[in-house]
Amino acid sequence: MEKKLSEMDFDEEGTVKEIEETLRKQVAGMGIREGKNIRMATKQPIKGPVVVEVDESLTSLGLGVAKKIVVEVG
Amino acid sequence: MLKVPLSVDERWNLIEKISKQTVEFGARKHTLKDAIAELTVKPLTGIPVAIAVLYGFWSFFIDFAGTLFTDGFMVRLFDEHWLPWLQSVFPGGLGNPFYALLVDAGHMENGVLVASDNCLESFGVLTSGFFVPFGVVLWAVLAFYLMFALLEDVGYLPRLAVLVDTVLHKIGLHGYAIVPTFLALGCNVPGVTATRPLETRKQRFMMITLLSVFVPCGAQIGIMQDLVPELMGWIFLTLVIGYLGFGFILNKIVAGKSPEIIMDVPPYRMPMLKNIVSKLWIRTSRFLLVAVPFVLLGCLIVGLMYLTGAMDWLATVLGPFLMSWFGVPGETVAPLIAGFLRKDLAVGMLGGLMEQGIMTTFQVFTSVVLLCIYFPCLATFALMLKEENWKEFLGSIASLIAMVLVYGGLIHLVGIMLGVA
Amino acid sequence: MGHPNVGKSVFFNRLTGAKVLESNYPGTTVDFTKGWMRFGGEDVELIDVPGAFSLEPKDRAEEVAVKILEENRDSVVICVLDASKVERGLYLALEIIERGYPVVVALNMWDVAEDKNIRIDAEKLERILGVPVVPTIAISGEGFKELVSKIKEAAPVKIEKIIENAGGVESAAVSG
Repeated sequence: MEKKLSEMDFDEEGTVKEIEETLRKQVAGMGIREGKNIRMATKQPIKGPVVVEVDESLTSLGLGVAKKIVVEVG
Repeated sequence: MLKVPLSVDERWNLIEKISKQTVEFGARKHTLKDAIAELTVKPLTGIPVAIAVLYGFWSFFIDFAGTLFTDGFMVRLFDEHWLPWLQSVFPGGLGNPFYALLVDAGHMENGVLVASDNCLESFGVLTSGFFVPFGVVLWAVLAFYLMFALLEDVGYLPRLAVLVDTVLHKIGLHGYAIVPTFLALGCNVPGVTATRPLETRKQRFMMITLLSVFVPCGAQIGIMQDLVPELMGWIFLTLVIGYLGFGFILNKIVAGKSPEIIMDVPPYRMPMLKNIVSKLWIRTSRFLLVAVPFVLLGCLIVGLMYLTGAMDWLATVLGPFLMSWFGVPGETVAPLIAGFLRKDLAVGMLGGLMEQGIMTTFQVFTSVVLLCIYFPCLATFALMLKEENWKEFLGSIASLIAMVLVYGGLIHLVGIMLGVA
Repeated sequence: MGHPNVGKSVFFNRLTGAKVLESNYPGTTVDFTKGWMRFGGEDVELIDVPGAFSLEPKDRAEEVAVKILEENRDSVVICVLDASKVERGLYLALEIIERGYPVVVALNMWDVAEDKNIRIDAEKLERILGVPVVPTIAISGEGFKELVSKIKEAAPVKIEKIIENAGGVESAAVSG
């Protein structure tokens, strides 16, 4: 099933399916790219940022940024 | 044929190819450090940890700087030895202008000029001018930078940034804005410099303006804690509300973008002693270099204004306005003027006024808050000029004046409504 | 150049012997520092560039990093990577190589990588990239002599060559 990164549950894992074009280059250097395994490490309440884990590195993304990433889960 | 530079995917494919041939990942160990790294950024556990860390920070600040050094040692040294000694050996004596400038201006009690018994009241260049920076402020700043360097080098700050991003993003700032804010609690000058990593001009403008208005520096906090420890909670609450409230308003008014956070959260690391020591040394010495000349100069200028009668004139002219709008007596003119040069010195002068018993508790509270918000010290002011363009600088000044008038008046109003003003 | 928090400034301090305020973690400044190091009998200028993940800037620190790189077209870039996160680091290194800069790669925090059971074949990596690759531990100074001695070996490499090397070695491994 596909969903936005922003909709993933806490501790859920998935594979990055698609990243919006403008964002792709920005997050590529941090190791976030299509085909990568991604885990939702934490979600802050009331529309706060998410923290995701890719290749053992934690990255914090604003919720609006997370909406631009589609993940295949389950 | 490939086009250079490669596309994101081409580059990553190449890396994966290279890495397959050269890197061997052994069994992954999930360590305690990994677990802590995550726990401290999860809201449920991270927020209590953040509160504990900040409380620990504060306690250390109070115990080390306030109780141990200032009260335990410096106050005695200055009030019981330095001041009496100068009063006895310095030529001139009470009433002599030269003596008043350098040692002790004294104050009127029942129409008689009496000598001061502590280094906050005396107001001489050699007494208050040295007591404020070396007796109080140095220890506060030292304690602050030590703790800050530790948090910085361990790697805690990015986690704090993630935790507060939720709130700060609502007022158009990054969670990252917590770093300049925090650093400004030591001294506003490096705080303003630390706004450079903020992405847009809007965020920088907002941050610099909010910093210079609502964030008291370590020097000021040190003196405040020394004078009115029982009011500190209320003072900080008032400042936090102002910071968030006016941030919210600025975010609505100021044009520009507030991009969302994209930030690496690095692993925790053992801090290096050498690194901490060198940071501590560089930051503290820079602070002294900026602060001490201004404090001495401030003492001199304020002393001269008293001697020439300029201060009394200003107090009479501005007194009614200060009284009606902010609810503070005209005598606060003197600290407000000193505050242009140094906030710590100004709060110290307020201490002198308090000891003469001419202010109610609420007036003390209002004046302390006013001193925090009414104008950045000269050093910060100069840096703002450098960091912002003219339009932004004028904008900062306009917002600053508006904030002081509105917020200062508001505090007075709330005081009246609560029946304490 | 390198990611934030990989020990660039410790590197810089060791190479220049300068007293520089180091910020280990994002926090304090995006300023850059210049210093001088003795190299082959003469003084060479060294710039400590703010941390960056890529040359496509997503924040001010990265903007500054890219600007410094572009303003110093004829310099050698020492690319400091976190050996325990070598793939992310290579992304930046490749970007710099693609732009035609001569690069020396330092695989820093080698000890941390070892603790994590990550083993990197530095020699093979050097052969594929065609640029010097040196394992280092900045805080203890390990690998620095070798690094300095290899700076003069740095030369621009065509990315096609790297692709060929990477592909070539792979196909040889399959057939062998």
